[in-house]
Amino acid sequence: MDLKLLLNWRLHLTVILASLLAEWIGILRIPMGPGTLLLLPLFYAFIIGVLLNPHLFSGMNRIIPESVSNAAGPLILIAILPFIAKFGSTIGPAIEQIIAAGPALILQELGNLGTMLLALPFAVLVLRMGRETIGATYSIAREPNIAIISDKYGLRSPEGIGIMGVYVVGTMFGTLYFALMAGYLASLDIFDVRALAMACGVGSGSMVAACSGALAEAMPGMRDELLAFSGASNLLTYATGLYVSLFIALPAAEWLYKRLSPTALQEARNENL
Amino acid sequence: MKTSDTATIDNQQLQELRPENQLGKTALLLAVVCAAAWIANIVNGAPLLQALPGMMVLYAMVMIGLGIGRVAPFYLPSVAWVSLVSILMTLPFFPGNGWIVEQLTHVNFLAVVTPVLAYAGLALTGREFTMFKQTGWKLVIISLLVFTGTFVGSAIVAHLML
Repeated sequence: MDLKLLLNWRLHLTVILASLLAEWIGILRIPMGPGTLLLLPLFYAFIIGVLLNPHLFSGMNRIIPESVSNAAGPLILIAILPFIAKFGSTIGPAIEQIIAAGPALILQELGNLGTMLLALPFAVLVLRMGRETIGATYSIAREPNIAIISDKYGLRSPEGIGIMGVYVVGTMFGTLYFALMAGYLASLDIFDVRALAMACGVGSGSMVAACSGALAEAMPGMRDELLAFSGASNLLTYATGLYVSLFIALPAAEWLYKRLSPTALQEARNENL
Repeated sequence: MKTSDTATIDNQQLQELRPENQLGKTALLLAVVCAAAWIANIVNGAPLLQALPGMMVLYAMVMIGLGIGRVAPFYLPSVAWVSLVSILMTLPFFPGNGWIVEQLTHVNFLAVVTPVLAYAGLALTGREFTMFKQTGWKLVIISLLVFTGTFVGSAIVAHLML
């Protein structure tokens, strides 16, 4: 971490101004079909950030030099921590409700294996992708998952390319997508909102923030309870996610891939001959 | 897809990125990002002075969590430690929990995240933009299916259990 670059005042001033503008625009509700899309200030802050990013428009170098933008990565990890603390503070006071919902909370962790249920068959059968599929679909592709793939296959392998692709898409759009999906599903009224709140805990700080924030805005009456459930679920994912993805998800993705992929099936047949 | 552009994070970088490994620098940077969140909180949260104790409580919780992560005998991500510290300090039997919870109500939940996303937007690297263009639409579709799958998967299980 290069302190001189990370303390660049233009970077922080830009962030503050972008945040103030985003907060001032506030939450927008857009009716869509049977539900409602919620647009949150964090979306606008991200979009303003991307538009001012010197790598996208070189003219922005005058505001924030490329070197500062390159060095700013660690700031995201640090900036999310106060939010995690705020999040945890919704759990403490609601501890009794959380213990009451314990079994649901623990078992829904298995739902995180759902990453591959839709995506893996689609990638292999429709898009005809190769082993990138395994890296791309075995997890939600956040830092701990990347560490596993990097350890096992290396990041230049097809599996590594797959996970880095989803990582990048997640970094760029994951937060926005989770908030839109959560807010919309809540407005459709199919699932118990508390179940949706637990589902928000996917093990990424900004994704869980956007997801549970959208739910809390959709159901303001249950705000505290929903935040507490999301926070508890996310904490469980932090604690168990690494092990679940290493010992269950990755072998499961390998297994499923071998059953579905035409090339893998071909190879298996050749070996048998 | 060019393989040379993809190794954006390796294990050593991941190690270095872990905030608990550089507590001094992290303490300083954390103060700066807290200040950004504190100011962003004016619009939908509370005036600066009213939110100050709450922000300082958050700062303290993070530093305690990182400190524990540093000395803990087994690995949990620093976010998990921070979370545990903040849960413990707001539990009904923790001394002063009433005051802590009261101060934290002046810090708006979403306002703390807004600056994080502004940093995220500004910190995207040229590599990430290039890679996004190269991997393109296929990985975007797959990513959205991955996100939908984990969310709906967890929601179904939780819904059935509740």
